[in-house]
Amino acid sequence: MENLLDLNFLIDSFPAIVSRLPITIGIAVGSLVLSLFIGVFTALIKIYKVPVLSVISSVYVSFIRGTPLLVQIYLVFYGIPKIIYYLQIEYGWLQSADVNSIAPEVYALLAFSINLGAYLSETIRSAIESVDRGQFEAAKAIGMSPMAMMLKIIFPQALAVAIPNLGNMFISTIKDTSLVFIIGVVDIMGQAKILGSRGLAFFEVYIAVSIVYWILCIIVERVLVKIEKRARRYERGIAA
Amino acid sequence: MIKLENIHKYYDSQHVLKGINLNVSKGEIVSILGPSGSGKSTLLRCINFLEQPTSGVVEIGGKRVDVESASKADVFALRTSTGMVFQQYNLFKNLTLLDNVMIGLTSVKQLKKDEAKKKSLDILERVGLTNRLNHYPAQLSGGQQQRVGIARALALNPEVLLFDEPTSSLDPELVDEVLATIRSVAATGKTMFIVTHELQFAREISDRIIFMEDGLIVEEGTAEQLFTQPKAERTKQFLSKASRNK
Repeated sequence: MENLLDLNFLIDSFPAIVSRLPITIGIAVGSLVLSLFIGVFTALIKIYKVPVLSVISSVYVSFIRGTPLLVQIYLVFYGIPKIIYYLQIEYGWLQSADVNSIAPEVYALLAFSINLGAYLSETIRSAIESVDRGQFEAAKAIGMSPMAMMLKIIFPQALAVAIPNLGNMFISTIKDTSLVFIIGVVDIMGQAKILGSRGLAFFEVYIAVSIVYWILCIIVERVLVKIEKRARRYERGIAA
Repeated sequence: MIKLENIHKYYDSQHVLKGINLNVSKGEIVSILGPSGSGKSTLLRCINFLEQPTSGVVEIGGKRVDVESASKADVFALRTSTGMVFQQYNLFKNLTLLDNVMIGLTSVKQLKKDEAKKKSLDILERVGLTNRLNHYPAQLSGGQQQRVGIARALALNPEVLLFDEPTSSLDPELVDEVLATIRSVAATGKTMFIVTHELQFAREISDRIIFMEDGLIVEEGTAEQLFTQPKAERTKQFLSKASRNK
């Protein structure tokens, strides 16, 4: 009788796949953190219409949106070492950097941060612009500096607006990290591929890895709901 | 104490303030009346640079600022010597009632937390809202929010309070509690500028009333003068229409 699935192989592949979860989560969370900085910075440049920089940010966002993530990963992976090498030879900069010792995880993190940052910038910009003008005025009227106003009043309110979108993008990013094996990062997907080719049981390992992604995303969604509730707690009006 | 000299304000080509001159002495309460679009709110907002005046001089407590060459430090000085109460309250939605009052003390005046809290509690007591310290603005009624707005404006102990139609967004039955709060602040001798449509209130509380139309001060005088013997035809018209609509 022909077996549809080698169930034992499927189940046995879980520990090895799960052992690579830190890589997947690390790249996703790390790039979320970095891309938040990029996103906020780019959003502020656009909101305040900073000359030159706002043109550069528009080109950046447009380029990231208009090219496949896969291509962007390759560009970072092949481009950055070349650029560093060029700067070392031509200008004597970055002498301490050893191009060959940079781990592929670093390139993955960079590529995903650059990618996610562009998408986040638009979400963050519209969230900041959705904050009531009166909030800005009240902050100015008591003499708050622009920095204090942003950090204490505007960002917390913008975040509450942006969280559902940020969450969706973060979940997309978790799934997109399955691309990183192409530059030699062994994440859960990479591990699944390795196991699959070893045992010639691709269907089994891909089922296993899809279950791992699925559970991970369900957990993240749950956490996001909690975070959103917390961020929006001040909106719940109790008629006084 | 407060001096406005020849304040002009243009929005693009629209001339909304056409040379306003005003002297207000310490402790004086001045109400600004006038039809919508007369520039009264704009005038108030020009004092603390929420609107950048196009030309003129603003002087508060000896600090003289030529608006055309105002530096960031000048604007900061004007903003910290004024406290503003907004029509829409504009409480910081993400902060509790206590934090709304405290934030100016901690993040602008750099006071220690304990000290800021103590001061804030004192001020909140004055507006009668010490039982909801950890509520968020959305959990308060409009009247309560506006009283917190007044507390927030008082917290930095400004030279002058600016009220921009403080009761215009309130349900009628909530107006009185806010007016009572304003009265109690007035009783402490604070200098106040009030843009309002509450004629009776203005008449009762003000030392002086200014009637504005079309970017200019049409008439000014004591409350009694303006209400009983308005000189300008336009003031008469406005007061009789406005009080008939009451």
